[in-house]
Amino acid sequence: MKQGSALLLVAVAAGALALVPILAPPFYANLLVPFYGYAIALLGFNLLFGYTGLLSFGHALFLGLGAYTAAVLAGLWGIKAFEVVLLAAALAGLILALPLGWLAVRYRGIFFGMLTLAYGMLAHAVLFKFYHLTGGDSGMRVPRMHLLGLEFSAYNKFELLAGPFYYYCLTLCALAAFLMWRIVRSPFGLHLRSLRDNAQKAEYLGVRVHQFRLAAFAVSGIYGAVGGTILGFRTGLADPELVYWTHSGHLVFMTVLGGFSSFLGPVIGALVLTLLQDQLQSLTQYWRLVLGAILALVVIFLPRGLAGLAIDAGQFLGRRRPAPSAASTTTAT
Amino acid sequence: MPAAISAIANIVIGGIFHAAVLFLVAAGLQLVFGVQKIVNLACGSFYALGAYFGITLVNYGLSAGLPDWMLLPLLLIAGLLMALIGPPIERLLRTVYDRDESFQLLLTFALVLMFQDVFRLVWGANPRSLDNVHLVYGKWTVGDFSVPLYNLLVISAALLAAILIGLFLRRTNFGRLLRATAENRAMAEALGVNVRTVYAAVFTLGTLLGTLGGALVVPTSAASLDMAVEFVIEAFAVVVIGGLGSMPGALAGAGLVGLIRALALVVYPEFEILAIYLIVIGVLLLRPSGLFGRPAT
Amino acid sequence: MKLSRRALLTSLAATGAGATAPGVFAPAVAQAKPCRVGILAPRSGIAASAGESGLRATQWAVEKFNAGGGIAGRRIELVIEEETNPKDTIERFQRLVQQEKVDCVQGIVSTGVGLALGPVAEEARALTIYWDGTTQDGVDEKLPNPKYLFRSTDNECEAVMSSLLAIKHWRGQFKTIAGINPDYSYGRNNMAAFVALLKRFNIEHEVITEQWPKVGTMELTSHVAALKAAKPDLIFSSLLFADLPVFMKQAHAAELTKGTKLVFPAAGWQHTLMKKDFTPEGMIFGHNTLYFDNPKATPLQKEFVTWYADRFKDYPNWEADRAYFAIASYKEAVEKAANSKGTAWPTIDDVIGALEGSSVESLGGKGSWRKDHIADQTFVQGFSTHANKYDFVTLDPARIETMYSTELQKPAGANFWDWLKAAKFQI
Repeated sequence: MKQGSALLLVAVAAGALALVPILAPPFYANLLVPFYGYAIALLGFNLLFGYTGLLSFGHALFLGLGAYTAAVLAGLWGIKAFEVVLLAAALAGLILALPLGWLAVRYRGIFFGMLTLAYGMLAHAVLFKFYHLTGGDSGMRVPRMHLLGLEFSAYNKFELLAGPFYYYCLTLCALAAFLMWRIVRSPFGLHLRSLRDNAQKAEYLGVRVHQFRLAAFAVSGIYGAVGGTILGFRTGLADPELVYWTHSGHLVFMTVLGGFSSFLGPVIGALVLTLLQDQLQSLTQYWRLVLGAILALVVIFLPRGLAGLAIDAGQFLGRRRPAPSAASTTTAT
Repeated sequence: MPAAISAIANIVIGGIFHAAVLFLVAAGLQLVFGVQKIVNLACGSFYALGAYFGITLVNYGLSAGLPDWMLLPLLLIAGLLMALIGPPIERLLRTVYDRDESFQLLLTFALVLMFQDVFRLVWGANPRSLDNVHLVYGKWTVGDFSVPLYNLLVISAALLAAILIGLFLRRTNFGRLLRATAENRAMAEALGVNVRTVYAAVFTLGTLLGTLGGALVVPTSAASLDMAVEFVIEAFAVVVIGGLGSMPGALAGAGLVGLIRALALVVYPEFEILAIYLIVIGVLLLRPSGLFGRPAT
Repeated sequence: MKLSRRALLTSLAATGAGATAPGVFAPAVAQAKPCRVGILAPRSGIAASAGESGLRATQWAVEKFNAGGGIAGRRIELVIEEETNPKDTIERFQRLVQQEKVDCVQGIVSTGVGLALGPVAEEARALTIYWDGTTQDGVDEKLPNPKYLFRSTDNECEAVMSSLLAIKHWRGQFKTIAGINPDYSYGRNNMAAFVALLKRFNIEHEVITEQWPKVGTMELTSHVAALKAAKPDLIFSSLLFADLPVFMKQAHAAELTKGTKLVFPAAGWQHTLMKKDFTPEGMIFGHNTLYFDNPKATPLQKEFVTWYADRFKDYPNWEADRAYFAIASYKEAVEKAANSKGTAWPTIDDVIGALEGSSVESLGGKGSWRKDHIADQTFVQGFSTHANKYDFVTLDPARIETMYSTELQKPAGANFWDWLKAAKFQI
């Protein structure tokens, strides 16, 4: 898809999102706040999955890390500035990702998946067991924080979430996306893709496979923690269920639904799944069945996800363009 | 038998019983991974399916007048019957064989989600169990130590399954075919092996082991909605410790997990769950191929 | 708006607990839009059976109330959403309040969710009545004086009652104690309450082993073996999920239950699975706020239990009562407030005022709301018996104990441990 028209589409989408609190009922603005959290986390997740080829089935671990960091800093230590908490969460993400990643990226494929699954479940067990520190099953409270130094005391939490915080998250998400865009377009990003496709060859060419994968893991951890902080602020609670393995599965679902082979695919997936799940849960009590069926259909028939579908549609409509090359089936944009 | 010994014996036999059930499901996982390179997240769902259907069949049979000792045969039949979902599910997975292994993993995750609601739809929200029907086989008691014969029967069944699978893989033609396909699918295909049939058979066998495990465990346990999602973790722990794709690994892994849990409960109950995860991570880091598996890339 | 207790009770008697005389409110507002009640109940996972019980009771209540003209003449309509984890449940709650615009939200069974949802309900200014949820972190109240939120009795009520029963009937007959409780706040608080009460009454005891099985795990053979090795005089257990009947079965098979005193405050949740085959007689067995076979059951309870048994071939557990209490007390409060204000439909503040201090006849007995929006309800526990027509255990009618929760839970603002030490317990 041509860069210009892609950029235009993104601008339009961002504009539409910016209008949601104004035009749509406040419920939808509230509903979309966690979407931004997931979007940021998934941008990081896809750096690891789509660009580096490592599927982590324990990524929700970082979501939890972000939420609990917010709980400790704002809840226990009384820090009011959300920016400080975000930075702390990013730092925590980095600190945790480095040792975990260093151990994990030696492996690929299913071994990597299982190791990350084990990390996630170990974290779940720890959060549950050490209840004196972590609150156990009741979790830890995440109180309201100040955004850009402003308290917004006139707003109750609902209004805060559907208003100022919504725009805060939108901006944060845009910044995170921009930063990630620079990362994947940089030589580092290129190297990641090359070692995803052929690690041995990349190594011969001088790419330090292990370090690059570790760097990708670390970045994904940082993004995950930041996303988790948004989730924690929104819910007002950090609880162990955030890191359960099915939540990690959910992240993968969103990524695949949107399309892991395109840059914004996971973000699209997060948006669609957030809205879809809301609608489904109101329609039927058997929403898991429907979601599972949708995932199965996407996996079988839409391997490049909704983004892939959109790209194909775009190319179909712009018939004057030459046929897509093989390169477009991998993460290209 | 002195009290301390019988206490330990009780604990150990409990651990071995749990290990036996774990082995059955893990063996199913290993077979499927070994040959098809698919990690089946829905193994827990098959386990739960065997459990739920086992209860239904036993209740039906007993209320239709069958004698109590028909419990074990009925459970075995239940396991066998539920394995019939193997072929259609394999057919579904077949659509993504040629894709990246993450797709296969995801498809099995989709199955997990769907099964959750199927269980609720068919069997409702209440947990289900069989009353102590299995005590019809009696108990073996030595002083303070006592174990229901049913438990010993299940342990023997698991061991028998282990031996049969081993013989099957090593001595029969089909078993050799399986191992050849596992080693090198392209080569096997070139040599005329009908890989499709092999895959279908393997997956069904793997499913059977899962449903059988669930059916056999249900008399001493219960069937509930969250058992599928919870069990996956333990089954994976076994498979990782034993080594992905290895049958002896499944046996060793199951034995280890079962016994460690049992002993942890006596020595340091708080750490029971953590112990398993730490061992999993330890194994993955120090010897990622597990105790018996082949080295990972 | 202060109503004297007498006035409240008289008007309660006049309208009749649970049913409005048809036509009292109907004519002028016959075409009024329905009263929408949002329900948040678990439908999957370990608490699914509780959710189902509660939903069924709510639906029964709604049918009954609607047959009598609804609430203040408005038909009741239920909007049902699922309670899952805190984050998602908050989203469903917001949908109920902002999109579906329900008049009241009821439900919630899990501790984590209750705690997270509390502040959200307050911010949303949405009248919310928890079935079986608190806003406690352990035993500490985290939301001491909410305006819009009404919560259930403290989780420790059943443990306190069982402990009192154990002390009353078995004082001097046990020394070594073993605990097997689910490894989360509910299990920990129950066990801690039991031990604290033993200390308070100077009962000589020694805790020789504490087992903490993972919540909902059904692999309990090793726990049973560990307990058997310890040979305790008494076993205290607040197991209440699917693991409870499994434990009982395995304990029976291992002959752990012979000769050991058993104290099981929450066993009533799974009562129909506690078959006579493996559940002994004489164990202290708690049914919380609904004992389906209570010889002193009100006609209301009998009607409900009969309906439930006919319809579902099963007998209800206490979650049904919690759900009924929520909707019944809501109805009473709305009608009380409308009546005294003379309006067709009261404001939310009026309803809140009417709820505080109010009291209704719930399925299992009287229930009322304290000023701090925590419920007081009737608790029933007793000793298990096989002498009944069912295949599971019930309570020995000669030794049923009924206590009102004012005796079982800490008063508003009190610290749990201090209260335990100083309270006047009737035993």
